[in-house]
Amino acid sequence: MSVSVAERPAETEPARHLAWRGWLLDRAPFLVACLMLLVVVAIYGALQKGVFTLDEINLDTAAAMTLILAATGQTIVLIRGGIDLSIGGVISLGTVIAATQFSDDPLTVVMWSALILAIGFAVGALNGLLISALKLQPFLVTLASWSILNGIAMLILPTDGGGVPGWWIGFSYNQILGLASPVWMLIGLIIFWYWFRATRLGITIQATGSNEKSAFLSGVSIARINVVTYGLSGLFAAAAALYLTTQTGAGSPTIGKDYILPSVAAAVIGGVSLFGGRGHLLGTVIGALILTLIGNLVFVLRVSSYWQPVMSGVILLVAVLASSLAEKTARGQEQ
Amino acid sequence: MDLIEVSGLTKRYGGIVALSEAQFSAWAGEVHALVGENGAGKSTFIQILSGAVHPDEGKLQLEGQPYSPINPDAAQALGVAAVFQELSLIPDLAVEQNIWFRREPRTALLTVDGKALRRKTLELFDKYRFPPLDPARELRRLTLAERQLVEIAKGLAKDPRILILDEATSALPAKEAEWLLALTRQIAAEGRLVIFISHRMGEVRAIADRLTIFRNGSTVASHVATAVSDDEIVTQMIGRPLVRLYPERKATATERIALKVDDLRSGSRLTGASFELREGEVLGVGGLQGHGQRELFQSLFGASRATGSIELWGKPTQIANPRHALIGRDGIALVPEDRPGQGLLLTKSVRENLTLSVIRRFTDKGFLSRGREAALVKEMVDFLRIKAGTPEQLAGTLSGGNQQKVIFGKMLLTEARVLLLYDPTRGVDVGTKGEIFQLMRDLAARGYAILFYSSDLPELVHVPDRVLVLRSGRVAATLGAGRVSEEAILRAAVLDEAA
Repeated sequence: MSVSVAERPAETEPARHLAWRGWLLDRAPFLVACLMLLVVVAIYGALQKGVFTLDEINLDTAAAMTLILAATGQTIVLIRGGIDLSIGGVISLGTVIAATQFSDDPLTVVMWSALILAIGFAVGALNGLLISALKLQPFLVTLASWSILNGIAMLILPTDGGGVPGWWIGFSYNQILGLASPVWMLIGLIIFWYWFRATRLGITIQATGSNEKSAFLSGVSIARINVVTYGLSGLFAAAAALYLTTQTGAGSPTIGKDYILPSVAAAVIGGVSLFGGRGHLLGTVIGALILTLIGNLVFVLRVSSYWQPVMSGVILLVAVLASSLAEKTARGQEQ
Repeated sequence: MDLIEVSGLTKRYGGIVALSEAQFSAWAGEVHALVGENGAGKSTFIQILSGAVHPDEGKLQLEGQPYSPINPDAAQALGVAAVFQELSLIPDLAVEQNIWFRREPRTALLTVDGKALRRKTLELFDKYRFPPLDPARELRRLTLAERQLVEIAKGLAKDPRILILDEATSALPAKEAEWLLALTRQIAAEGRLVIFISHRMGEVRAIADRLTIFRNGSTVASHVATAVSDDEIVTQMIGRPLVRLYPERKATATERIALKVDDLRSGSRLTGASFELREGEVLGVGGLQGHGQRELFQSLFGASRATGSIELWGKPTQIANPRHALIGRDGIALVPEDRPGQGLLLTKSVRENLTLSVIRRFTDKGFLSRGREAALVKEMVDFLRIKAGTPEQLAGTLSGGNQQKVIFGKMLLTEARVLLLYDPTRGVDVGTKGEIFQLMRDLAARGYAILFYSSDLPELVHVPDRVLVLRSGRVAATLGAGRVSEEAILRAAVLDEAA
């Protein structure tokens, strides 16, 4: 018979101290993102008058909303441990359909909007199905569907154009209690997130991203989760497309690609792990705001607009560095 | 009537037959032990029972009804729950979320009811008298032993009619293991069936009513536990009488010092360890769990930050990360604690696992030489008797003992001559254990220097030349030949005044 020598040592002071530091380290990427947002806002506020007003908040949120919506879907996919490049195609296709089909009749607009959202979900669900059924890489499957959708968008509307009703364009200027509709959308989105992440579906998506094999052994149907996850991503991309037409007033078969990598960048800046299992929409929203405000910053600094991608890249690097340092430190302490 | 009855069960993975016409039957209210060497088919068998794997052939019956669960959910719905050896837990979820994963209590808004979740968790802990465990902690912050407790809680939370425990005690400290054994008896007494897999004969003896022996994927025999001797069981397990578990211990240590460690400190657990390891020596490391053994191995391998001085073959060395530790004949190689987590890439082939960290040995002016690689891989597979269909078989499909052998092979191919073995026989069957001990002595005779930690006291008594006993992160005693006994190790581990 074998006897194991073992006894659990009592929880010691240092261990509790480490637990507290662990809590902080876990949130380090998010906190760094908040800090970066503060810095960007501070510089912007110092150079420009009227930054700290309700108007400015309304305007900036309106400007960031397309990216926020696209990045919300991306965040769900990233937490699942995947990636969705097809959102570029969904956004392009969505704006093109809207710009060619919307008429002044609100009923037509509602019907086509519903169809666009349904197409977004269906495309995503198909992505999820292909990824699970054929055991293909999400990167490749969604890259292919991006290309396909992009082509279809070109066939429908070869160049930027078309149009949407005037009342549709006015969407983001509607205000309630001094806050414009995009701000209310954002509030709604965050409430949705707090609800969603506490549902079984939300937890299961996170769990599958955290450890797919364990999730499977616990009875999760990986195929079903993939269909829902990528479906939601497509749905949010379609919503981003609809919102985008309220800003541009037209359709564009190429505009979607501008949101593919930024949606990933916004999530990563906000602390969402590319390896799945960890992330929060609040971080993604902050990331999207940072990326949007950099555009404003470039404008008020009166430098070439080519500095915008440079600054975005630097911020992305800082964010990635912060999360990797935090992870290493945390791991070093757990050992 | 039998609660579960299985006959003609067959499962193949590529060219390897994991199960061949296996039979099994057990009734409600008993603890039924499943014993056999690694690779005997036990793991495949319970994976089939729990719905994670589908058999190629065979008849399964649950209470006289055909039983073929399409997935783990279906098995659970029929009251079959498994506590897996390679854990089924989610690292980013809290303990309580893991225990009730996908069966969480919900509010009217369909969100998880946190209060009810906590209450149910504490009730579960209370009902089965669990060792202390914080329900809110994230799983990845837990030790291996704590994770095992969560896995057990997850199984119990399903209130199963058939509870399968796969090596559930191997990761547990002695007190917790005893608790689990008592719990197992209690569950059986409630009229449920516990299928209990363990390599520790003492445990099987202590709790099993009956036992079924597997060998090479087939059922060898079933016995009433009291009607069969240890020798008979071991003989049937390995197909021949076991001559001896522990190899002959010839002193092969030279005067040359391979590894000299002075005042090594890391974190809060390792607080200044000093010792010397000589060429040709097997040096055991013992002590109560959590007294710095893991930190010692991790710091020597460069996986944890540490201060203090380390001399390798007489030269002062800075080991900043595992890559430094690995380099060349003067390096250090580690067999880590957590096989799937740290040692092995389960989705890579045996060949890739063996050669991944030593790829430069097979390159010629920057090009990979497949021939040299194949030759060395074959040599290692033969030398260690790794049971794989081909070197291209995925490591994840090997049995536990064979996975451990692959890790040994990986370590040996680095050519490092200082080897750190952290609990290398955990969850390994008797036959493979014997092979591993013999291998350690053979390597020592060839001039390797081996630092060997084991959670199993008799191993420390019978295998190493000397034993260091750690207490509170320091070397409390060094027990030389003739002075090593279970009692002496425990005494030094527990008492301030070491003998």
